Amino acid sequence: MSGIDFKAIEESIAADAAAVATPEALEGLRIKYLGRKGVLAQLTGSIPTLLPEERAFFGQRVNHLKIKIQALIEEKQKAFDAGASGGDIPAVDMGLPGIAQELGHLHPITEVIDEICNIFVRMGFSVVEGPEIETEYNNFTGLNIPLEHPSRDAFDTFYLRSQGPAEKLLLRSHTSPVQVRAMKAHKPPLAIVVPGRVYRPDAVDASHSFMFHQIEGFMVDANIRFSDLKGVLEFFAKAVFGKEIKMRFRPHFFPFTEPSVEVDISCIICKGQGCSVCGRKGWLEILGAGMIHPNVFKNVGYDSQKYTGFAFGLGIERIAMLKYGIDDIRLFCQNDLRFLKQF
Amino acid sequence: MKVTYNWLKDFVNIKMLPEQLAHKLTMAGLEVTSLEKKEGDFIFEIEITSNRPDWLSLIGVAREVAAITNSKLKIKKAKPQLKIKNSQKESNLLRIDIENKKDCPLYTAKIIKEVKVGPSPEWLSKRLELVGCRSINNIVDITNYLLFEYGEPLHAFDLDKLEGATIVVRRAKDEEKIITIDGQERMLSGDILVIADQEKPVAIAGIMGAKDTEVAVSTKNILLEAAIFNPVLIRRGRQKLGLQTDSSYRFERGVDAQTAQAASLRAAQLIREIAGGTLVLAKSAGLTAVKAKTVNLDFRRGEKILGVKITAARIKKILSGLGFKVKAQGKNKLATEVPAHRQDVSRDIDLIEEVSRIFGYENIPTTLPAARPKIIPCAKRDLVSLIKNILTGLGLNEVITYSLIDQNLLEISREKRGTEIEILNPLSREQEVLRPALIPSLARCIAYNFNQKQDYVNIFEISHTFSLADNQPREELSLGIAISGTRSWLLGQGLIKDEAGFLHLKGALEVLFARLGVKESSFGGLKNNCAAAILVNQQEIGRIIKLGKQTLEALDIKNKEVVAAELSLDKLFSFVDRQKKLHPLPVYPGIERDISLLVREDILAADILKAMRQAAGQLLEEIKITDYYKGKQIPSGFKGMTVSCLYRAPDHTLTFAELYPVHEPVLAVLKDKFSAQIR
Repeated sequence: MSGIDFKAIEESIAADAAAVATPEALEGLRIKYLGRKGVLAQLTGSIPTLLPEERAFFGQRVNHLKIKIQALIEEKQKAFDAGASGGDIPAVDMGLPGIAQELGHLHPITEVIDEICNIFVRMGFSVVEGPEIETEYNNFTGLNIPLEHPSRDAFDTFYLRSQGPAEKLLLRSHTSPVQVRAMKAHKPPLAIVVPGRVYRPDAVDASHSFMFHQIEGFMVDANIRFSDLKGVLEFFAKAVFGKEIKMRFRPHFFPFTEPSVEVDISCIICKGQGCSVCGRKGWLEILGAGMIHPNVFKNVGYDSQKYTGFAFGLGIERIAMLKYGIDDIRLFCQNDLRFLKQF
Repeated sequence: MKVTYNWLKDFVNIKMLPEQLAHKLTMAGLEVTSLEKKEGDFIFEIEITSNRPDWLSLIGVAREVAAITNSKLKIKKAKPQLKIKNSQKESNLLRIDIENKKDCPLYTAKIIKEVKVGPSPEWLSKRLELVGCRSINNIVDITNYLLFEYGEPLHAFDLDKLEGATIVVRRAKDEEKIITIDGQERMLSGDILVIADQEKPVAIAGIMGAKDTEVAVSTKNILLEAAIFNPVLIRRGRQKLGLQTDSSYRFERGVDAQTAQAASLRAAQLIREIAGGTLVLAKSAGLTAVKAKTVNLDFRRGEKILGVKITAARIKKILSGLGFKVKAQGKNKLATEVPAHRQDVSRDIDLIEEVSRIFGYENIPTTLPAARPKIIPCAKRDLVSLIKNILTGLGLNEVITYSLIDQNLLEISREKRGTEIEILNPLSREQEVLRPALIPSLARCIAYNFNQKQDYVNIFEISHTFSLADNQPREELSLGIAISGTRSWLLGQGLIKDEAGFLHLKGALEVLFARLGVKESSFGGLKNNCAAAILVNQQEIGRIIKLGKQTLEALDIKNKEVVAAELSLDKLFSFVDRQKKLHPLPVYPGIERDISLLVREDILAADILKAMRQAAGQLLEEIKITDYYKGKQIPSGFKGMTVSCLYRAPDHTLTFAELYPVHEPVLAVLKDKFSAQIR
């Protein structure tokens, strides 16, 4: 045996380690034992002087010491790290602003359109878009809205200055003309949603604008029923406004659907008790819908005896205003960064 | 439209509270928008849809109340115990000439003599006031009362003021004038229908009577008119005159002959009761009886549309409750005779709607469709969505601005003019034209935000722009970006200020193009330092501009530069390549060489890099500018830059010996072509 007292070395290590109080002293400890000329290096260096049969055992003892001291140093180091150099001065002032690339913001109208489209896409709908300049036929006649009829009053329209004898052109006053376009372009079964800008010559105030956004949706197949319309709209409304809302379907009139319906949800502000947002009614109207009128099918060349379908339309601004608690429609086109950055 | 609870009770027994009734009506399609208690009665304000002119009357609403509450309608048939002494002589008291039956299918007139015009009895004036109609005198009030009760607008003339005992229903002559009872003189024209005597128009048919033939206190003898006019004609007339009245509102939606006659009779009776007088003549011209329509309903069709089976008995009950005469036709079908006041019903779907409405939408089940709809791709929308995400990732904020703008904005933004599309009927100057470009709107948006004390405004919009091409309107999907102001970054080394300029726009577009897989993009020369073309594959798809001084002044933007880009997404999309293929990661180490050089200021960095790349050949993997400087340590007229070149061979470790003949020409080209000093 080499005559080295491993036990004494182990004890001195423990004593030295216990005395370490600063990171610097810890470094000194490391150098004393593990440094290039440290205690352990000397021990290892003495191995060739041993008898071959002693070497293995000796090596093991040295290794044992090494593990021990490494563990002690690591433990001390952890204690220093945790105490952040003794807890006096933090290395980083976490009260300073973090450093990151600031992200831009999508317009709330885009957010709502995307959310709504995604809900319908989950139900198998495809998203289709159409032009904003339309013909009188697609905007009115094709949708069973006679040009000189009171039912047209709800759709006041901007016309384009005529460029010649061609058909009168206008800015679409709703997204429904895309129904005519899409049904002429595709055969059933169809399920389509159409988001987009629409225009009406309305004087601008807190709840009116001459430009706003709608989403049109429709589904046509051999066996689409009013009950399906209810199911699809219920899925939609609950996905947007929450499972707890109540809904009601009121008979209404639209020229392009029959039977037609207006859909209300229980007021999300007062929970149906009656407040200023819902006009004390407890209900908020969110969309209009109905079963596609046979005349519309006839106009696009579908057999109305074979196919049935439903259609619905809703105003994005209205949904966004309800969802985010916005009380003035003009904010959407004012584009104040302090507004936009909240979405 | 307003109706009152007590007035409704004249026609139907109501065994529920006004609130309950309001709910029932709403759920049947007559939306009660307000319910007000007033003077011992309740006023229902009801929104009447344009397909149901019959609901524009007390009786119409009462009919509906009867149907939804399962009670009977009580309409007192007006008993004309009025003895008309229609002697031959008296029949000649009045001539009615209808110029065109299409304009006026029915005209009825009653002559009542020796009436006493005076104030209305209290019950009458009070009822009218509750529904929002001012009391005038007993005769006028009775005609108004019947308008509200039956939905048929009546008119009473002072008989003695009519010239020649003649009523002519004709088109107005061009430039013919009339002073209406509101005291306004109105210019008429050939597309307006009038009621005239032998000389002059005495009423604008179905819209408003003339001042000088109205019934006044001095009136002794009256002519009571009840007629039907062509709805389209009334509509055009009131639009042209800008004059909508309770009367035109109803005629435009349609009144039926039966109602017109019943209302006239009831009015005559009320006049006799209230104002006395003797009915001396009742005369009519035009159609008398209309044949009732028959519409068939197949129950199976109803079930196919609604998704619920409603029993035949229930359907029959609903329809007969609404006044339809129903007759079973075998097991599955029903023939219905449509009552005269239901002009809106002409086919089976109209009956299905009626059944579903009274059955209650709430009683129709909720199901999900079993359809397997076609999937229609919408690549454009997906790309737009992707672009919006990339741009917001770059810190840009999306805005939505009006597509209609004032010409003035194009003027101050110095946009190319002449191809913009004008709006025929704008409400204000702000809606004069469809915008041909996005930049003017974005510039205005920047000005607005500076006004709100923002330091840095970075925005984008994706929307259509409009222009005339070969006299045809064209819509193009466009992207506009505008940046201005100074952005501050608080970094470890302190506050860094970064002022927006062309390179910020270029950077955003480069990232965008790279992510879309658009290759071969470049930015054409800066003309006058304020505009550059955005080119892809040598094709111009847009522009980058710096707003001119005058534009900034007009927008009230002070001490700031505004840079903006606008490009056609329709054009860009044809260059998009979203296919990705992996380039294998390098296996062998490369060698980096930095070159610091001084060149004349007017030499473009892009030209230098291009020449270096050409000189280096295949082994040059990457070349980039890693430093760029002008200033004191550089001679004036020169700029300094550091270019870093990375060389690598794909199949072995590159040696210095190999590199030498490759890198030397790169240095040579800098000296020879650009007279660069290499440092």
